[in-house]
Amino acid sequence: MTIQKKNVLKLYNLPGKVVYCKKCCISNQRPRIGFDKDGVCSACNFANFKKKLNWSSREDELKRLCDKFRKSNGDYDILIPCSGGKDGSYVAHQMKFEYGMNPLTVTWSPLRYTDIGRKNLNAFIASGFNHVLGTPDPTVTKKLTELSFSHLGDPFQPFIYGQYNFPLSVAVQNEISLIMYGENGEVEYGGDMKNAFIPNRSVEDQVRHYFSGVSPKEWEKYGINEAKLKPFESPSIGKIKKNKTEIHFFSYYKYWDPQENFYYAQEKCGFYPNPERNEGTFSKYASLDDKFDGFHFYLAYIKFGIGRATSDSAHEIRDEKIDREEGIALIKKYDGEFPKKYYKEFLDYCSISDETFTQIINSWRSEHIWFQDDKKNWHLKNPIWK
Amino acid sequence: MKKIRLIPRLDIKGENLIKGVQLEGLRIIGNPNEFARRYYENGADELIYMDTVASLYGRNNLKDLIKKAVKDVFIPITVGGGIRSIEDAFEILRSGADKIAINTAAVKNPLLIKDLVNKFGSQSIVISIEAKKISENSWEVYVEGGREKTGINVIDWVTKCTEARAGEILITSVDRDGTKEGFDIPLLKKVSEVSNIPIIASGGMGQLEDFTKVVKETDVDAISMATILHYNIKKIQDIREFALSKNINLREFYE
Repeated sequence: MTIQKKNVLKLYNLPGKVVYCKKCCISNQRPRIGFDKDGVCSACNFANFKKKLNWSSREDELKRLCDKFRKSNGDYDILIPCSGGKDGSYVAHQMKFEYGMNPLTVTWSPLRYTDIGRKNLNAFIASGFNHVLGTPDPTVTKKLTELSFSHLGDPFQPFIYGQYNFPLSVAVQNEISLIMYGENGEVEYGGDMKNAFIPNRSVEDQVRHYFSGVSPKEWEKYGINEAKLKPFESPSIGKIKKNKTEIHFFSYYKYWDPQENFYYAQEKCGFYPNPERNEGTFSKYASLDDKFDGFHFYLAYIKFGIGRATSDSAHEIRDEKIDREEGIALIKKYDGEFPKKYYKEFLDYCSISDETFTQIINSWRSEHIWFQDDKKNWHLKNPIWK
Repeated sequence: MKKIRLIPRLDIKGENLIKGVQLEGLRIIGNPNEFARRYYENGADELIYMDTVASLYGRNNLKDLIKKAVKDVFIPITVGGGIRSIEDAFEILRSGADKIAINTAAVKNPLLIKDLVNKFGSQSIVISIEAKKISENSWEVYVEGGREKTGINVIDWVTKCTEARAGEILITSVDRDGTKEGFDIPLLKKVSEVSNIPIIASGGMGQLEDFTKVVKETDVDAISMATILHYNIKKIQDIREFALSKNINLREFYE
């Protein structure tokens, strides 16, 4: 199979010149991020905004929201997507024990669980939750992973479908109208400042906008039939609306600090960090339940020059956990580290060869980000430390 | 009967006192020297200053902090983090530290231990070990703030460091660090069995009973503590009183 070179600039609507934020370490290559006239990114501006916000009035809004949706007949009144990680555990625990809601928590299964990921999920459930785990037919997930890796340059597409659509399905099935996610990435990490003032996301947006334009149905043309794709799809807009479904973000209502979520989840929900550093970054406490998540992050590094250490450093700088100089040192040290630990397993899972893998990777390297030296090794043209 | 030493441990990043859980999620706590002074006044026997991220960032900058600390703290201070050579060790000792602790550099180059001992004497060389449990009765040496595996068995490493005539071993349980779940007793039992040099136990103290348990059930010589003191769960005076009430021998402290 010949693999066609992708036009990354056009596909993701990226600026042709790489520029780094003056305050953190993110570049303008992150899709949908904005930069102001002083060279500061929208995520930093939001971080600044949220430090000055009157959070007690936001919490009052949360209490009103709870009162509006709270049920007194024993039925679930809130659905919380939670993998058993630090963030979802924090949100679920707060909603149940701080705000007196009766949540159903849901997890869409990772492609392949790590031991620590499964342990954390069990510990979370054991801390007092009703929970549903969605596991689609692994043969279908496998096929979709391979296809989405080959065609979209991201093995996580089937997982992302489920992450967004499964909670909608479970909400409709159980007649739960309120879904509470953790942070709104479209303002915490980039995106539009208007989201700082909006507690929710419209269900139309949720269903349509977050799959790089490729919905589950599109894979039918590769011979995956309707029935197999069903678990990855959302319910019809009609059903979602009839259920009066609303999608809210906890980060709108309470100050969002991933490190503090870690402390909270550790103390209340038995959460533990990864026994070793996650490949491609310095952190041990984020995104650790899927053996293959390293490939999702690695592809982002290839497409945008933004690896996992860059993303982690950027938000830790905004959260004032590290300074910019430390962030740059960490990026230099870890960003783009190849996820070798589960590489063989990943190739087997996708039934692709080492060679095909490399071809796919290289098809996503854009000239405005990468160059090849005399020995055919790839380098970033404009790394932050230069 | 030996006298157990009480050693508050100050993990440092940049200018700040920090603390994590399992050496992760490093939270900024405050000004380290203010805490140091308080612990000294409250009866600490010694202090440990540890730049846990020095190797992570490839830096070594505790000198200025130590120079300030020794102006109002008059108990032995051990300093670790980013010490990679005789020169680094010399600099730290010259700024007023009484002992230096090494971890990553010793793992990378075990001969450095002997060199340091020959130059400065055993009494001033502490080997810091980050121990992570891998199975029942088996622990692996980690470096870079609990982030990197080394493949080295902790007990083998303790034996090596003992043979190299290190002065003390500071053993930190990565699993227990910051969790307040108590010390890793089997680890400390094993380590204190195979080594005849003083062992400082670190990682896990969350209540007074943890202290008596580790002293009664293992043969360690000193107890390092952080979370329990930094978050003011207990004061050094509380620990001292409790230990004495349980007939544990401590060094005398005159207020």
